[in-house]
Amino acid sequence: MLLNRQLVFLYLILAVSVGYLVSALNLGAPISDGSLTPAFFPILVGCAAILFASILTLQKLRETRDEPEDTAPRTFTHLWVVVAMFIYIAAFRQLGYFLSSGLFVFALIVLFSSFEKLAIKAVIAAVVTGVAYLMFQQLFGVRLPTLWG
Amino acid sequence: MDFIAQVFGSFSLLLDPFNLTYVVMGFLIGTIFAAIPGLTATLAMALLLPLTYSLNVETALMACASIYMAGMCGGSITATTINIPGAPSSMMTALDGYPMQQQGKGALALGHAALGSMFGGAVGALLLIAVAPFVAELSLLVKTTGKFSLLAFALIVVVIAQRGRIPQAGLAACIGLMLATVGLDAMEPVTRFTYGNANLTAGIALMPVIIGTFAIAEVLTQAYSHTDISAAAAAADKVKIRRRDFIPPLSDIRKIGFGCYFKSCLIGYFVGTLPGAGGSMGSFLAYTETVRTSSEPETFGKGNPQGIAASESANNAVCGGAMVPMLTFGIPGDPITAIMLGVLVINGIQPGPQLMADQAGLIAPMLAALLFSAVVLIPLTLWLIGPYFIKIVSIRKDVLYAVIALLAVVGSFVATYSTFQMFMALGMGVLAFYLRRNGFPVITMLLGYILGPNLEEFLRRSLSLSNGDPTTFFTNPDSLFFVVLTLIFFYFLVIRKPAELPGAKAAK
Repeated sequence: MLLNRQLVFLYLILAVSVGYLVSALNLGAPISDGSLTPAFFPILVGCAAILFASILTLQKLRETRDEPEDTAPRTFTHLWVVVAMFIYIAAFRQLGYFLSSGLFVFALIVLFSSFEKLAIKAVIAAVVTGVAYLMFQQLFGVRLPTLWG
Repeated sequence: MDFIAQVFGSFSLLLDPFNLTYVVMGFLIGTIFAAIPGLTATLAMALLLPLTYSLNVETALMACASIYMAGMCGGSITATTINIPGAPSSMMTALDGYPMQQQGKGALALGHAALGSMFGGAVGALLLIAVAPFVAELSLLVKTTGKFSLLAFALIVVVIAQRGRIPQAGLAACIGLMLATVGLDAMEPVTRFTYGNANLTAGIALMPVIIGTFAIAEVLTQAYSHTDISAAAAAADKVKIRRRDFIPPLSDIRKIGFGCYFKSCLIGYFVGTLPGAGGSMGSFLAYTETVRTSSEPETFGKGNPQGIAASESANNAVCGGAMVPMLTFGIPGDPITAIMLGVLVINGIQPGPQLMADQAGLIAPMLAALLFSAVVLIPLTLWLIGPYFIKIVSIRKDVLYAVIALLAVVGSFVATYSTFQMFMALGMGVLAFYLRRNGFPVITMLLGYILGPNLEEFLRRSLSLSNGDPTTFFTNPDSLFFVVLTLIFFYFLVIRKPAELPGAKAAK
């Protein structure tokens, strides 16, 4: 089983570490005129990261041979939360604080519970958004984007 | 002596209603977050970090100190009443606290926990106040090569302290170091790993790293695991606590003994000074030591108040210990002190040897607040709202996590008014979530990120001063001291694996 979830993550980290090391090598020679250049430390870190990632990948490959296949039910709520956050951030300036935050809080309440009692959840979302606005803008003096400028 | 006088003089700042409000609010928020299983005081502090922009640094640090103290004792509430430690540092408290609750002595167990926390917090804070100026003076003796060896020591110890997952900790530290190298080089005008993105020229800011690592990752973890707390909430509803039962009888305190309290405080304090050790290790070691030296070890785990006293004294004494390396060397001992370090950095203050000498006026109020939280707020909070705190577990989780997510995302906007930082916080949150899910300790990543810039700078400076001769790390006495210390820790933590501690069986 070369593609279980943990292994995919380790392959990804290994690939990032290799990419980092290549970028570090492209910065130039690690030592110049007897002193260390900006490339030295990243090269060192990149090598260490590849070493650790390789050890972990090999360890995991050995373990997965004996492990039964993971049959636990998969949940995707966390991915929906990431999507909600991404859309929220992208819409934050365009829609302004109130609309974007209200929709975001409502979406998260629904994601963490169920599609029931939506009206009550909408009211809670509105209250949370309003209280957070008062806290940031009035209490701490943070200027939040609004549709009216 | 000047510093000690300055700390005690800083108590006057607590008379200012503005400061007092933040300290009390910080303590309440820290207690609430620590009491709710799954949430931690670290998360509370990460969420409040953006708000420190609008506060003066003394007030912000005072609030942080009270959150820290509250975070260490708040976990004992649910640990005792429903056998679910609100914070990892209260795991050992549950061993004797919950059996006492089952015997109808839950309020008394909470009273013992509060007394232990009060004693531990006060001793830890007093030791910190007494010791920190001397450590700061000693730290002035550490020169460039020694500073590199010290930072390397801290990072290596944090990695090897993660027994059973050292490669994961090592890789997480490397990821932190990689993040630290993004942006303009500290010594030459060269940008690294920005890939043409101007937003990255100044590097990856601390705020999105902390908010992403602790707040957003926590929301994602809860969304993934969907912890069912209905059983805990139902159990909490059945618990009835009366104020008059809180006060431990003098005979109980005599039986526990001053020696037990004090020894546990010292264990907690010294464990706190070690990078990466934290409150849970402090309370575990103090508990096992108490079981080992007890004349009736078979009573532990069955409702012995001595177990609660040992565990809570130690984990609150950790607060004082963990601040020693943070204030004197700029090395955070745990996630909370890492965020406190962030508060200093955000306000343009560089922690390190000069901090205690040049800006003691900023630090003294924080230590006063730490002592105040231990001696006044712990017992006062228990007395005033103790009977109601257990109801915290019944809070609606859907609303709670939506609020945390909102505060986290908007909080990351506050620092620079930039949506780029919000995306960065989200990215860091996703990274930290997957690291946690795959068994990587994120504290080592955070430490790698925080210590990385200085580690690189001192390495390059040291080798420049020695004309590239690496033996400089072994020929300079200050550096050699930390190299030897690293080897000693390596020997004890990796080569000669610690034998099962006496009393560990009872602890298990």
